[in-house]
Amino acid sequence: MSDDINAVKILDLKGLACPMPVVKVSKGIKEIEVGQVLQAVTSDPGALTDFPAWANTTGNEIIKTETEGKETSFFIKRMV
Amino acid sequence: MEVQSYRAEELFDWVTQGGHDFTLLDVRNNEEFGRFKVEGPHLSKMINIPYIEFIEEEEASVDRFQVPKEESIRIVCAKEGSAKYVGEILLNNGWKDVKILEQGIKSWGNMLTPKLVASQNGYALYQFIRPGKASCSYGLIYEDEMVVFDPSRNAQFYQDFANEHGARIIKTFETHLQADYISGSKLIHYDTGAQIVGHQNDFKDAVFEYKSVNDQEIFQFSKGGPEIKAIHTPGHTPGSTSYLIDNKFLVTGDTVFVLSIGRPDLGGKAEEWSKLLFKTLKTKIADMNDDLLILPGHYLDWAEANPEKVFVDTMGSIKTKNADIYGIAEENDFVRFIKDNMRKQPDVYGEIRKVNAGILEVDDEEQEIMDLGKNECAASMYGK
Repeated sequence: MSDDINAVKILDLKGLACPMPVVKVSKGIKEIEVGQVLQAVTSDPGALTDFPAWANTTGNEIIKTETEGKETSFFIKRMV
Repeated sequence: MEVQSYRAEELFDWVTQGGHDFTLLDVRNNEEFGRFKVEGPHLSKMINIPYIEFIEEEEASVDRFQVPKEESIRIVCAKEGSAKYVGEILLNNGWKDVKILEQGIKSWGNMLTPKLVASQNGYALYQFIRPGKASCSYGLIYEDEMVVFDPSRNAQFYQDFANEHGARIIKTFETHLQADYISGSKLIHYDTGAQIVGHQNDFKDAVFEYKSVNDQEIFQFSKGGPEIKAIHTPGHTPGSTSYLIDNKFLVTGDTVFVLSIGRPDLGGKAEEWSKLLFKTLKTKIADMNDDLLILPGHYLDWAEANPEKVFVDTMGSIKTKNADIYGIAEENDFVRFIKDNMRKQPDVYGEIRKVNAGILEVDDEEQEIMDLGKNECAASMYGK
C-alpha cells in the first residue's frame, strides 16, 4: 500500500544508533514542505518508540510504518 | 569536554547505600521510562526529560532542567549515545559533574548483585538481586559444586561467580516456567552441562532435556552437604515448585513473596489456578514452620528488603504482613480477591514462556529487548 504514499525524501538511517536517527529526522523534516512525506528507514530498535515519541513532541504525523526483517520504514508527514 | 561514564554496579551502590547526592536524569522517551526505570531505596531525585526534546528545543530543555549547576548529574539512556548527546549539552551549559551510564539502561536491567544470605554447615547461600527486574535468583555452594535457582539470562555471571568461588555449576533448579524473564538455565546447561530441574506440569512441552522433579524429592551435592527438598506448590503455575534448603530456607519462586503472593492468572486460567494456589496456601504453606526463612523470586519494592538489603523474611512475619491474603478462609473469597486484583499482563510474556520452553528461538538482541523491564508477577499491591 506504500505505493499510495508519495515520499518526497528518503533518509537511509540503517546502522545508526540513537540519538542519530532522531537527529537526522528532525533535520530532514525541515527540508520538506508542510503536507509532504518523509520516509525514514531505520534498523535501530530504539526508533520503534522514539519516532512516535518524536512525532508526538513535534506535532508531525507518522502515517504508516512498514517492517521488513530488522528494518522499519516510517512515513512521516510534515504537519507543522 | 569528554563526558565521563559510570557503571551500573556503581549506580546500584549509590541508590541502595545512600550518602550519594545526585540527580538521575533519564533521557529515554516517556513510554520507555514509564515501562521501566531505575529504582532504589536511596534514589530521591530522578527526572525524565527525553533526549528528543534536547534535539528539538535545546535551549528550552536546558531551561527546564532546573537543577543547580553544582549538582552531580547522572544520565541514563537506552544505550549510551543519547546520554552522551545530552551530557555534552549540559557540560556546555555550565554543569560540572555530568556522567553517563556505561552501555545504557540494559546494563542496569541485566545486572546481578550477589548478597550472602548464609554461610554455615560448610555451605554458602547467595541471593542474586536483579534490580532492573526486581527479581532474585539464588546460588548454593558446597565444596566445589554450585547449584543455581531461577537463573536469569546473564548466564556468564553465574559461571564467573562459580569460578571465583572454586566451584562449578552442576544443576539449575527452575521454580516454574518463567513468563516475565528469560531463564538462563538453557545457556548454563549448554555451557557447562549442568542439569536443568523443573516440574513436568510446566516443562512438559520443553524441547530441551530436563530432570522432571517430584514432590518431596531430595537432592544433594556429590559430597553430601545441605539437602535440597522439592515441594510442589502449584498455583502461580501448575508446576510451581519451592525448594527447601537445609530445612531452613525456602526458595519460593513466585509462590510466596515478602509482600503479596504470585498471581495465578498469568496462564489465562485464573479461576482454576487460583483454586490450586488456595489449596497450596491452606495446606503446604500453612504447614510451614514460622521460623522458616523465605527467599522470594521477586519483590515489588525495596521496603521489602531487610536492613542488609537482602530480600528475606520469616514465614511467620510474612503471614502477619499479608494477613489480608493468608487470612482468607474460603476458596470463593480467594478467587474473588485474585480477580479483583487482576490486570493485563505484558504482551511479551507469552513469547518469553515459549523461549523458556525452547519452543521459540530468537536472537540475542531481541531477547535483550523482551527481557527488560520490571516484573508483573504479584497478585496485589500494584498501582502504589
